[in-house]
Amino acid sequence: MRIDLTSEPRLLQILRGVVRCRALEAGVPEPEAERLALAVSEAAANVIRHTYGGREDARLALEIRTFPDRLEFVLEDWGPKVCLDQIRHRPLDDVRPGGLGTYFMNCFMDDCSYDPDFAEGNRLRMIKYRQREVAH
Amino acid sequence: MKVQVRNVEDVAIIDCSGDVDLYSSPRLREALLGQIRGGAKSVLVNMGEVGYIDSSGIATLVEGLQLSRTTKTRFGLYSLRSNARSVLELARLHKVFNLFETEQEALEKIGSVQPFGGL
Repeated sequence: MRIDLTSEPRLLQILRGVVRCRALEAGVPEPEAERLALAVSEAAANVIRHTYGGREDARLALEIRTFPDRLEFVLEDWGPKVCLDQIRHRPLDDVRPGGLGTYFMNCFMDDCSYDPDFAEGNRLRMIKYRQREVAH
Repeated sequence: MKVQVRNVEDVAIIDCSGDVDLYSSPRLREALLGQIRGGAKSVLVNMGEVGYIDSSGIATLVEGLQLSRTTKTRFGLYSLRSNARSVLELARLHKVFNLFETEQEALEKIGSVQPFGGL
């Protein structure tokens, strides 16, 4: 499924609801669905704050793909290219406001990567692998 | 998200409910920093109705903590739900904040007349 929305911070709550709902439908346990919703919301918040500089009339799109072994969340924006060198969370022992969004994304997703072939803006692909059943 | 401020003796309590995220955290920030700058001796944030908090909400709480240290205001959080607590723990901030289980406990510890830094 794919949803398109504007870069209004108030819409993050709806985005989280969609992620949470889709993850639950795909059989993800509720606590993990919450964590996935947080990770995607942080990614979208980063786009709103940093890529769009707080503009609320820009575009965002989220595509959620479910596979037998994983869930993929693909977030697209049409802003300036992200400088990968500048995406770094703050050291956790350096207690100050900010700098944790990317950390939470990396904690809750198994892989986060940008598509270098998406020329119009940024396409962030976040993957969460399903936990395998333990054979008894 | 809703933010309401009430006073119990000389402690300002900020009752916060709903999602604290990029959209709503400025309201919490305004209330929190406003109370600290306004000269409250002690400020508590009631997190009992907060079902979700993201990095911008955490940043707001850290900002409040830092300002409270500057102004020597006692500051704490109480009634954190599991989601909010786990996010704080993940960010290794659970030992940085004064966290309490209940309002009564928070008032007893934060509201007591002990020198700042006793917590």
